[in-house]
Formats: sequence, C-alpha cells, structure tokens
Amino acid sequence: MKFLLQTLTTIIGCFIVQYFLPWWTMAVVALIVGFIFHNSGKTSFAAGFFGAGLLWLGMAYYMDVSTQSILTEKISKLFPLNVFIMTAVIGSLVGGFAALTGTLMRGKKLAKY
Amino acid sequence: MSAKAITSLLFTVALVYTLNRSWDFGKPIPPLGKFLDPFHGFWRNAESKDLKSSEEIISGLKDEVSIVYDSTLIPHIYAKNEEDLFFAQGYITAKYRLWQMEFQTHAAAGRISEIIGPAALDFDRGQRRLGMAYAAQNSVEEMEKDSIIKMVANRYSDGVNAYIKSLDYEKLPLEYKLLNYWPEQWTPLKSGLLLKYMAKTLNIQDKDFEMTNALKLFGKETLNLLYPDNEHVGDPIVDNPNGWNFKPVSLDKVAHALPKDFVQINQLEKSSTDIGSNNWAVSGIKTASGSPILCNDPHLELNLPSIWYIIHLSAPGFNSMGASLPGAPTVISGFNDSIAWGETNAQRDLVDWFKIEFKGKTKKDEYLSDGVWKPTKKVIEKFTAKGKEDTFDTVIYTHHGPVTYDESYHGDNEKNHYAFRWIAHDPSKELLAFYLLNKGKNHRDYMKALDHYTSPAQNFVFACVNGDIAMRIQGKYPVRRANEGRFVLDGTKTSDEWQAFIPSEQNITYKNPARGFVSSANQYPVDDTYPYYVTATNFEAYRNRRINQLLSEWKSITPQDMMKLQADNYNLKAAESLPGWLKMLDSAKLNNDEKIAFEKLRSWDFNNSITSEGASYYEAWLRTIYPMIWDEIFDSRVSLPEPTSYTTIKLIKEKPDLSFFDIKSTAEKETAVDIVRKSFSEGVKAIEKWRQEKKTNPEWAEFKDSYIQHLARLAPLSYHVKHGGNGSIVNAHSKRNGPSWRMVASLEKQGVKAWGVYPGGQSGNPGSPYYNNMIDVWSADHYFNLHFNSSTEQMNPFAMSSSTLKPEVK
Repeated sequence: MKFLLQTLTTIIGCFIVQYFLPWWTMAVVALIVGFIFHNSGKTSFAAGFFGAGLLWLGMAYYMDVSTQSILTEKISKLFPLNVFIMTAVIGSLVGGFAALTGTLMRGKKLAKY
Repeated sequence: MSAKAITSLLFTVALVYTLNRSWDFGKPIPPLGKFLDPFHGFWRNAESKDLKSSEEIISGLKDEVSIVYDSTLIPHIYAKNEEDLFFAQGYITAKYRLWQMEFQTHAAAGRISEIIGPAALDFDRGQRRLGMAYAAQNSVEEMEKDSIIKMVANRYSDGVNAYIKSLDYEKLPLEYKLLNYWPEQWTPLKSGLLLKYMAKTLNIQDKDFEMTNALKLFGKETLNLLYPDNEHVGDPIVDNPNGWNFKPVSLDKVAHALPKDFVQINQLEKSSTDIGSNNWAVSGIKTASGSPILCNDPHLELNLPSIWYIIHLSAPGFNSMGASLPGAPTVISGFNDSIAWGETNAQRDLVDWFKIEFKGKTKKDEYLSDGVWKPTKKVIEKFTAKGKEDTFDTVIYTHHGPVTYDESYHGDNEKNHYAFRWIAHDPSKELLAFYLLNKGKNHRDYMKALDHYTSPAQNFVFACVNGDIAMRIQGKYPVRRANEGRFVLDGTKTSDEWQAFIPSEQNITYKNPARGFVSSANQYPVDDTYPYYVTATNFEAYRNRRINQLLSEWKSITPQDMMKLQADNYNLKAAESLPGWLKMLDSAKLNNDEKIAFEKLRSWDFNNSITSEGASYYEAWLRTIYPMIWDEIFDSRVSLPEPTSYTTIKLIKEKPDLSFFDIKSTAEKETAVDIVRKSFSEGVKAIEKWRQEKKTNPEWAEFKDSYIQHLARLAPLSYHVKHGGNGSIVNAHSKRNGPSWRMVASLEKQGVKAWGVYPGGQSGNPGSPYYNNMIDVWSADHYFNLHFNSSTEQMNPFAMSSSTLKPEVK
C-alpha cells in the first residue's frame, strides 16, 4: 500500500514540478518523496523507478498519439534503441536511485512489528 | 548520513550529470535525460496538423502585424509599415527555419566544426581561406552606407532576435537539441554570409588549375578542341546581332603570358555542374490570355529544410510574394502586382587564382608585385571545434585577396601559393537590388534595381502586366582579354590583374524581342557581335535548345503549358547521340542481355520518365563511355578538366580517330566505334549487376534514386524520391540536384496569378507535417496556388490559421 502511495505521489509531484522546471528536478522530487515515505530501500527504489518511469512513458505516449507519431519513428532510427524504451528506462533509473537516496538519507528503517 | 546513503546520493548525482551532458563516442550523443524528457525534450518538437491561431506581444514592433497562414503554411504578412514588415519577415522565417539559417551561415563563415566537431575543421579552414567572412563584411559595410538596406537588414535581424529571445529549451528546434547547442544573436553580417554562401555555390565551379595543367600537357590546339570557350550550340540568351551601340572599354594590348606550370594542389570541393536553372518569359502575343507569363526554376542541391521559403510581404507601398532565402530579407524570385522576376546563374568566369611569390621562405611578410615587395596582411583565424582545444590558422591577404592554397593548406610544395580573386569579395548591394525589384512597377524600375546588382552574376528574367518582357545578364564583370581567366595568373605582374570592369549599362540585355519570348538556361550568353570576351567553366548545351524549340512552336500558351514545360523530361542529349551509337554496334555479336538492352534503347522515346528503362540503359552507357574515352584525363597524375558531354558526343561523331579514343591500358588501338561497343557491353553489365542487387527492373526513377538530404546528413530526416528528369533535361532533377523552386506567374491586368512549389515544406521542423508535405506534390509535377490577396479579409477563405504580432504597450 505504501509502495502504491509513494509511486502515486512521485507521479503527481514530478508531473507538477517537471511541467515548469528542467528534467533533473524529477530526481529532487523523487528523493524528497522517498525521504518522506521512508519505505524500505527496495520498496522506495521500486516506487521511484515505476513512478518516474510511468510518468515519462505516459507523457511520451501522449505526445506521440496527439501528433500521429510524426517524430517518434524518425528519432528512433537515430538511436540503437526504441525511444519509448529509452525514455522509460532513463526516467525509471533516475527516479529509482533518487528515491532510494531519499529513504537512505532518513537512516535505517526499524521493523515496527 | 550513512555510507550507503552517501553512495546512493553520489550515484544519483553522477547519473543525472551523465544524462545532462552530451558525449562523443565516435558518434555524438545528445544529453539523453534532457533530450528524452517528454516535458521539454524532443517529444515536444512533434506537431499536429492543426495550427492554433495566436496572438503574441513582441517588443520591438511599431504597430500590429497580421499574419494569415494558408493551407500550405505560407505566411501572408500584412504590416502597417516597412520597418514592421521586415521585422516580421525575420521573426516568422526564424520561427520556421532558425536552425537552417544559422547552420548555413556557420557553414559560410567556416564555423561548422563548432557544431559537429573536428571532422569539419578542414572545411572550415577552407571557408576562412576563401575569405567568405571577409566578403560578407565588405558587403555589410556597403549596406551600412545605404539607409534603405540598413533599415531592411537591421529590422530583419531584430525580428530574428526577437524570436530567439522567446525560445526556451522546450521550443528549441530539434537539431539544436540533438547537437546540444544554442542559437546565437542574428546580425546583418549573417545575412551577408548567407548571400556569399549562395555566391560561392553559383560561382565556384572554376577549373583554372585544371586548365593550366591541360595547357602544359596537351598544348593549345588540343585544349581548344577539348575545352572550347563557346561550343556554338543553340541560341545565346540574348541574340541581338549588331545591337551593341556603345563604345566598349578597351585594354592595352598587353598579352598576358600563359602559365607553364603543373599545379598539384588538392583543390577544395566545387559545386556540381548540375547546378543551374531555367527561366523564361513569354509575351502576350503567344499566350492564351494575352498577358505575359514568367517562369523560373533554379536548380540547386536538394536539401531539407529547403533552401527556399515562400512568403507574401505586404505593407503600404510594398506587396510582393515568392521564394525568399531563409536568412535574407525580401523575396528573391517572385512577383508583385505589376511585375515578376526570376534568376538563373549567369555562367561567367568571376574567379581567378594568382600565383604569389613571397620574400624569403617562411615568413610571408612581403610579396612581389611589379618588382616591388608589398607587405602582406595576416589574419589569425581561430577555430573552436566542439570537444577540442582551440586551433589557429594564419590567412595571408594580398591585394588580390586571401592566399587560399599554400604548403600549410592543400598545397603541393612550399613554393606554390595561390591567392584568390573573386568578384564576391568586392563591396556589393544585392539586397538593395532585390528590395527595389520587390517594389518595381515597370521595366524602368527593373533596370534601375539591377543597376545596384553586382554578384553573383545572374540572368534576370522580367515580365510586366503592361506586356513588357525582358532579360538582363547582370553582374560586375572584369573586362577580359582573350584567354584571360582560363588559367592560373601571375600574381607578380599587375598586367595580369583585372584592369577594368564592364560598365553596367553595357551589360547584356534586351526587351520585347521579335520572337515573343526571352529565356535562359545557363547557355552561352550572347551573339558574337558583343564586343567583350566571355568565358566560363561551362555553358549548358541542351536545356536551352529544348526550351527555345517548344516556346517557338507553341501558341496560345497557358500557365498549364508552362508547368508542362518545367516538367519536360525530353532527353535531347540522348536524342542527338543514341541513334548514331546504336548504329555503331554490331548486332550480330550481341549477347542476350545486350540484345534486350538494344531493343529497349531502340524503342525508347527519349523521355526520362519515372518508369522508362531506356533512360537507365542510356545513363549507364554514358557513365561508362565517358571515363573510357577520357582515361587520359581521369588517370593523369595532375588534375585535368573534364570535357563537356556535348563536346564528347560531337568528337565521337566527327573525329572518331582522335587519339583520345585509344584506351591507354590496352595493346590495340581503339577508335570511337570500338569505344562505343565496349562501353555498351560494360553499361549493360552495370545494369544487370544493379538489377541483381535491387531485384527489380531498372526503371529510371529507381535507377537514378534521387535523394533529398537533411542538412546535417541525418538519414531518418531525409527522403528518397521517385521522379523523372536528369541533368541537361529541362526537368533538371539528377540524383542530388534539381528544380529547388518552381514558379509560374501570369501577369494579368485584372490581377497577377501565380503557382509555385518546391521539394520540401514550409516548416523546417522534422516533427511538423509541413516539413516534407510539398515533396510529393513537387515530384508529381503539380503546383500550389500562390494566393496573392491584398488584405487579411480577402485571405480569409484560404486561411488555415492566423496570428497577430502586437507591439509591447509602454
């Protein structure tokens, strides 16, 4: 449940901040969200990974559909990998490690039960 | 913080850093995080077909400017004064073509290595050593002296800069994101650079070094046989025998000595000989409507974004439309409500090389001129190649111009230095000429406008609603003595220099000739009674004859007929050579493939249409016969000029025993007939090889495989096109060069009607549906209606979207 909440918060937070600010602010948001939620390392990483990744993939998909894929294929041919995959992977990795850093910065999580 | 946390933080920061900068692993990689960010990265450069109407507040405008885009995304700009009009032209052109504008001017200035890295350093050094920026600077100083062009160039710059100022990373054109850099401020110098870049494309095909070698190797007689100044074929552009009623400038009869050197420098790349153009104007006596029709199609290298941008400029006292060059104000080939004009390149030698003698071996502080040591001027050029430390090159200037070739650049040895004398180095006011043409009302205005035009020399066609048609071969031409300019000149003697210029009013021109039309297609410019010596690298021998033949025959000509003529695929070269060659073959000895080829060629209608196989067989034959005949030239250890195909074909017919027909590498002695037979077999083999590789029939468009290339040579942003035509054909579309703009304008009293198209699209953004939408229309030889309406209200029925530029309220 906390995983889902962190993921969702990451998506919403990153969406709002990224709308106005450069791409790397996504890492700051994912880190802060990770810090606040203070999930276990694995959970936090996964939430940042999926949160940022899904957001980037979703936005890219939205741009692609609303422009009839006019640029997607051309840019894909310039790179060795499909641009959707590259976009999602880069968003995910940065989100994941930032979120991991956030939770680690709060220190060791104690088992509550 | 725990060690784990610190490690994780450092890793995250490193990851972000890595993805926020560009890398170069042999291939440049953009900053991937930034580039792929769907909020600001490349995804945002994708556009949909529907454009929203907009209102923008822009500082720098005096009054409101309305822009209506028609369905082809052609902007119709309505301003309330000329200051705002040229501001808006700059702003709108930048909005759709900024990257291209800057890339081309960087190329002109020798700064491409700043964008793409050290691979371009050699090209950049060449541009600096040709004095491109020096030429542009000279023309800008001239612009500054004239209040009109100063205003036009400055307001255009202001408009471009207003657009640049409005950019953020999200709106930045795609190519900047890919190559990871940012546009710099626009200046009138950049407009000057662009025009000089055009001049270089059109002027620099010269073969002075090659001719010098040929003179030494072959002697004068063979030289004139292989490379005649005038092939005397077809009508000259202006045929006005004994109509030259002026006293020509005559030069002292100082015979300048011919050089005796071999030149072995490694020359810079030159423009293709496929670069050229067609234009013509037909008088009302020959048209269905009774009004003149004017046509223009400049043949240039076909790239994306296209070299042309269609624009309609309207303000009180100003109303013109046509093709503009992104980076330069005004319309270059177009029309207004009274006149129309268009250009083809005037083939004229305006480029010379002077061999320089420096004092001492290394310092190059002084050079010899008429026995006196004159000081040189040294300009240190700095190169800031991407990913590399700054490098420097010292360019030596003499009074001739910059020393392009010496031992430190493409030279052969430390004794040979060649200075570059080029007409485009001289101060020029071409923008004033275009400005005045845009506003011209009649023949007198056209003549007055062109008096200001010096370089690059062009054949300006003209037509007016009052019925006049005209042609003027305008430029600044040195008065030449016979043979002057064909070879390398002696830089130590002032008698070898350009002594005088032909007065502008003595340039070649005529108005309303009896035949009812004027035309030019890069052929020899004038009849033999013109009192000046004319020479050039090459004159076109085929297109002009086909055009003149049809224009002479046709009556009641309609604009549709003119479109048909621009798309004409008749291969006159083939019609004149092929029947004779086929007769020379020994049909009894042909193998199966050769028999098929023979049949295809025999039944061919000489049209290079898309599906023609005969055209492919002929081209393959031509490609083999040419190097087979001229093996002496291609295999020579010094570079030699290539004879034209017209001369080659003529020699096969008229001098079949010429020693050049003997293939040097074989024991037997070949004649033209042997060459024709041998090359036929080789040509057929080449086609068969092609057929096996491509697994399809050698239809002409497939075999030719035309390609329109993105300026950064990125394949996914470039297109292969299936289209007929070829070099030397009216539809002059070869593999890489072709009609870069086609215009037909009917100058009717009730209102000028015009049609135009080019192989590209109005938007330079590869993510826009308007990036390539004209290519298929162009290759189908169709046109767009150029809506020429004098108000926004009249434009409404054709409007796709509109935009208002508003001045800042203070």
